[in-house]
Amino acid sequence: MNPLIPIMVILPITCALLLNLIHTKERSVKILAIIVGIALPAIPLLANYGMHYFGGYSPLIDNPQMAQGLPDMITQSALNLYHPAITYSFASAQKIFVFILGLIAFLAIFTSLSEIKKASGVYAFLMFMGTAAVTAILLSDDIFNLYIFFEIAALSQVGIIIASRTEKSYETALKYLFLAAIAAPMLLLGIAFLLGLTGNVNITDIIYAINSGLVDPQNPALLMACGLIFFGWLYGSGLPPFHSIKSAVYSKALPHGAALLQAFSVFTFVGLGIIILRIFSFLPFTQVAIIVVSLLAMVLGITMALMQTDFKRMIGYLAVGELGYIGIGLGLGTALGITAGLFQAVNEAIITAFIFIGFGTILYKTGITDTNKLGGLMVENPKVALLVMLSGFAMAGVPPLNAFQSKLQLVQASITAGLPELGIIMVLLSIVTFMTFMKAFYTIYLRPKPSELEIKNKEIPRATIISLVVLLLICLILGLFPQIVTGQLEQLAQGLI
Amino acid sequence: MRLYDIVVNRIREIQELSTDKEPVTNLSASATLAAEITLISTVLIAAIMLRKINDILMIVVVLALFIALIAAMPIMPRLKKEQSDSFNSMIFYVLLALTIIITLFYWGVRNV
Repeated sequence: MNPLIPIMVILPITCALLLNLIHTKERSVKILAIIVGIALPAIPLLANYGMHYFGGYSPLIDNPQMAQGLPDMITQSALNLYHPAITYSFASAQKIFVFILGLIAFLAIFTSLSEIKKASGVYAFLMFMGTAAVTAILLSDDIFNLYIFFEIAALSQVGIIIASRTEKSYETALKYLFLAAIAAPMLLLGIAFLLGLTGNVNITDIIYAINSGLVDPQNPALLMACGLIFFGWLYGSGLPPFHSIKSAVYSKALPHGAALLQAFSVFTFVGLGIIILRIFSFLPFTQVAIIVVSLLAMVLGITMALMQTDFKRMIGYLAVGELGYIGIGLGLGTALGITAGLFQAVNEAIITAFIFIGFGTILYKTGITDTNKLGGLMVENPKVALLVMLSGFAMAGVPPLNAFQSKLQLVQASITAGLPELGIIMVLLSIVTFMTFMKAFYTIYLRPKPSELEIKNKEIPRATIISLVVLLLICLILGLFPQIVTGQLEQLAQGLI
Repeated sequence: MRLYDIVVNRIREIQELSTDKEPVTNLSASATLAAEITLISTVLIAAIMLRKINDILMIVVVLALFIALIAAMPIMPRLKKEQSDSFNSMIFYVLLALTIIITLFYWGVRNV
């Protein structure tokens, strides 16, 4: 048992609750948020790999002392292998995911504390609560526990949008909540079908029940469960038909909030996507469905981004489109494809946070998001403009930045898997992503400044620039040394095929 | 230039019918045209993957899609209007997707 595993979830929840209690004390909010924010990426680096069984109830096979007095009908049956406790699993892939999520959470909180005039304990509470929920989604091997945190993550996201207090943020939050009221019960219904069929909510035990023939793999309820969980996954990650609302969610949040929200979507995508692949790998149709939905997300997200004039909405659509790359990797179902897809997930979370925080400096300086009303900002702060430009290069997959490596691996994986068409589409859409970004960059930074454009804040906070530089450094490091991450993800990918 | 003019005029027509009051600039027309070409080419390339099922089916579908998409141009302004923030259209597409997914997973896996 490793006590640091549950602390990855418990610490941000405790911090969130404390922040809510002391939300009027600005200085205390700042200090507590920064300290716990630093701890978020540090804990997964310090924790050892292993399992955590809540209540200490490990499976009987790992606990001979407890099994000693029990009858053979228990110890000689599948019950000997079952997990009676809520189980959290922490391996090399989870280490990378939780570290990156923690780092983005820290940078988002760090930036928000400097950009918002009066630090809001409630806003920080929601950010920590969402981070805790998504961390639990990544760690949990218990599908019902995962569902609880899925709901908490959804509510935290709604809260972050409302707390952003931008124009029409309440309306978007309400729409997102209503759609959650359709999708989340469907996910729960899928879990209920699985529980009804296998008598278990532990994912490892469910897989054992299916693979050992305790459940008929063609059972209609199992197929329904797959469809319903798949639908819940679409909602959680913002894939079509939820791409419009997800991009609206990003565009209504403040840039630092949006940076964290997209990380929630990416890691929910990864967490639930891995579970779908683990449980339903016996259905080849699942992989086809993942590829079709991912293609739709890429095409709709990137083409719609090109049509936007609001830069926050444009990045929102681009973020949705980039999710498609991850899905293609998972859908290919090969070790190389899954590794590349998961690597792309890590890269996308970092790059989109980089872009949101980078473009957030425009909002901070001008209070405007409509590119038709912007222009000539290169002269205002050329160094930040360079950082923003590099963030766009990273997203489009320009070498030597990180997405170049993951997109190249994805193209290689699609060719190896006998689907070069997917590789061509990915290259084509990367070019369009680059074009979309350059269109926004030109309108905001390069064309002449409109006479009516007012600069509200001259100086960009130092914390924002530090966050941008940190994210750029990570993009460069992962671009030059991709094996730091891919080496950690290969083990998970091998286990999924 | 003719295709470009057709696109600009059609964007104007569609914008006049909708409540969207954004001006049609060179930038927006070029973006629409690029998005249009991207959409059509991606759909056609994706349809080539049907070769995994049947070569003749792939040829028929690609040709049919090519004719249908060219005839329906410009698609992007309509697609943008369709993917608005209207709650009604969101609910419609969500329920449509749920129906398709359950149908495919339930009957598709058992019968195809």
